[in-house]
Amino acid sequence: MANPIKPDRSVVTTCAYCGVGCNFKAETHQGRIVRMTPWKDGKANHGHSCIKGRFAFDYYNHADRIRKPMIRDSISEVWHEVTWEQAFDFAAQRFRRIQSRYGRQAIGGVSSSRCTNEEIFLTQKLVRAVFGNNNIDNCARICHSPTQFGLSATVGWGAASQHFDSILQADVIMVVGANPTEGHPVFGSLLKRRVRQGAKLIVLDPRQTETVRSPHVRADVHLALRPGTNVAVLDSIAHVVVREKLYNEAFVRERCEWEEFEHWAELVGSDRYAPEAIGPVAGLDPADIRRAARLYASGPNSAIYYGLGVTEHSQGSTGVMCLGNLSLACGMLGREGVGVNPLRGQGNVQGGSCLGSWPHVFSGYRFVTDDEVRGSFEAEWGVALDAEPGLRLPNMFDAALTGHFRGMFIMGEDPVQSDPNQGHTIAAMSEMECVVVQDLFLNETARYAHVFLPGSSSLEKDGTFTGAERRVNRVRKVVEPLAGLQDWEIVVGLMNAMGYKCHYDHAGQILDEIARLSPAYRGLSFELLDRVGSAQWPCDEHAPEGTEVLHRERFPRANGRGTFMLTEYVPTRERVTDQHPLLLTTGRILSQYNVGTQTRRTANSRWHSEDILEISAEDAAARGIKDGDMAWLSSRFGATQLRARISQRVNPGTVYTTFHHAETRVNVVTSDLSDWATNCPEYKVTAVEVALVKPAGFDEYGRSLDRHAGLAAPDLSTATTASHPGRQEVHA
Amino acid sequence: MNMLRDALPAGPGEDPVLAIDRLLSMANQIGDFFAPYPSQRRAEGIRNHLRTYWDPRMREALLAYIDAGAGGLSPHVVEGARLLRSSEPRKGYYGPPKA
Repeated sequence: MANPIKPDRSVVTTCAYCGVGCNFKAETHQGRIVRMTPWKDGKANHGHSCIKGRFAFDYYNHADRIRKPMIRDSISEVWHEVTWEQAFDFAAQRFRRIQSRYGRQAIGGVSSSRCTNEEIFLTQKLVRAVFGNNNIDNCARICHSPTQFGLSATVGWGAASQHFDSILQADVIMVVGANPTEGHPVFGSLLKRRVRQGAKLIVLDPRQTETVRSPHVRADVHLALRPGTNVAVLDSIAHVVVREKLYNEAFVRERCEWEEFEHWAELVGSDRYAPEAIGPVAGLDPADIRRAARLYASGPNSAIYYGLGVTEHSQGSTGVMCLGNLSLACGMLGREGVGVNPLRGQGNVQGGSCLGSWPHVFSGYRFVTDDEVRGSFEAEWGVALDAEPGLRLPNMFDAALTGHFRGMFIMGEDPVQSDPNQGHTIAAMSEMECVVVQDLFLNETARYAHVFLPGSSSLEKDGTFTGAERRVNRVRKVVEPLAGLQDWEIVVGLMNAMGYKCHYDHAGQILDEIARLSPAYRGLSFELLDRVGSAQWPCDEHAPEGTEVLHRERFPRANGRGTFMLTEYVPTRERVTDQHPLLLTTGRILSQYNVGTQTRRTANSRWHSEDILEISAEDAAARGIKDGDMAWLSSRFGATQLRARISQRVNPGTVYTTFHHAETRVNVVTSDLSDWATNCPEYKVTAVEVALVKPAGFDEYGRSLDRHAGLAAPDLSTATTASHPGRQEVHA
Repeated sequence: MNMLRDALPAGPGEDPVLAIDRLLSMANQIGDFFAPYPSQRRAEGIRNHLRTYWDPRMREALLAYIDAGAGGLSPHVVEGARLLRSSEPRKGYYGPPKA
């Protein structure tokens, strides 16, 4: 049916919903968006789209949008609307007061991958140049920080080696801990297209996802491993590659550090990683591990795509290294059809990673401890910068509980809902004296904030996003910012209020500053992007319109060689017990996005109105749970309830849910363990118990849970969290 | 150049910036990762990691804990952390530990 409203204007821009980075033509009528049409010249999507980008745009105009800045003295008071200047001054005075009382290091900030490269870059400038410390982090901390660490260690750059279209030349596709048909749907379709053309498919995932089996697509090998055993299984695959001499010796000798390869081969080649040893640990048939290894090594072009099922583990960085090691050993890098590729969750996670929103590195992943690099930023910004790494996001919360951290600038993030072990996060937030939240909506975190700065959505601003394939794409303003300022203008306002004078005429000038300070972005400008559409970094004098495939001749390491890390399997400390005999793993669904702040405010919620607990028939029967029953889900951290669905997608012993709905509060339950290298939370493995909710009385805390008032929890002593700090702070 | 740095006091109190249990479990996890490397490289890998990724207050708290007996810390971590004091300053790096 033709659109009854005739648009009067259109703008080509980039979707913010996932790391694919689809281009859309956004059409407006009298200043309101009426239609989003996938753009056929978009180099990431070629005219395709999913139901988030296509339909879930109404949130921008939702009645819940906050349109005026607000402040309050304490979190128990009501908000007062103020002018932008009053809000900036209030925040600036509080931040400076905290620093004068508790030290320069007592405040920090976190940026968001929903924001543009320019805004992320400015947020780290705010923290480093104006706060005067390195307490700056970004939301990749809780998703893909192990990617940066693990890939930097092996292949040199923490980014996808390929462009998406490269998959059309892959003969074997290995998907590890990712579900692209739900999380990255446009890329997922491309993957399925290639499998239908005959490419072989290996999937490592505890669940039978749609990637494993859907119409006309079926994985040749599905390793439905037990949550938490990635590194064991990947080492076992490597074991087969080494023992059966399936590796590409010529590639390793020519392109890699041979001695490190030999150390690695000795480790993974040991008997303890034989499929027969690892199979029982991971719940797999050893023959399937061998088949996966032989298939991957045989290629001739084998490509790895992975997601948070690799990173969000206590050995997340080690898991990423396993993938780097494996692809180097088999010579699956440096040409079309191969590679190691993280699938990034949010629209600009790659950009967030690239642009120095980290406590230890500037843009381009260069250490703050490096005098030369730091000197280049000091010269550009005109201030001395801290030479020591700052606190990471989880450590900021830890330090809030010891009194060392008192104030925080939070741009477009909702840590109370999205971070693990919610009780801990809330206790930490409650200790702070100045929390500034910049967001579209009064999110869960705003309950603990003193200043609320109404941000702009990606439809209301200019800038760039960097997609999962390193593609830098233009974000163009479709409608005017509802609260008057684009997010980068808000950061500039705060910087000035804190006494650091700075000014940009438009966001393109920030990209110019990024280009001056970041080698891989050196050639990028609005002018270039407007001319060529988009460009993949590195974009510089050697590659003036960007680079599709990395590592063609050398790896970006000092000696140009790829290298191998020793990846011993260290089981997580999170173990099943008699009290918590099941393993919970979490994920996402096609129609919703992350914590749902945006998509829940659109008609997409009709497809997914609540988070559902998937449980095997066997585990459900043992607990008297029937399809559709309300279930009580508890761990040693906390408890919540949600509806159960009997599912063949999970093996007995494993349960699964999504985290899109605030009222489910799944992260009350998740573990406080984290990756050894990056502190990325171990969302994917929490020991839990599930019980039937009986429809009588009250819950164990003497209060009703918000959505299902009157339903009571069973008497489960294991669910007790009363002693946990912050418990009483949870708003029902 | 930056007046801020000199004008502000160093920080509050003597308590470690993170609860010591949290620091110990993070440190031991790092020790577990580098365990398969030969002893010199293992210590250097742990040193490089702590030096490049940990806030200096976290490193100081760990070293103070080691001075006070190091109970519950793996010997690898103790060796690596001690290098923070004894070794020459060197640039941070990615990749395998350089002995």
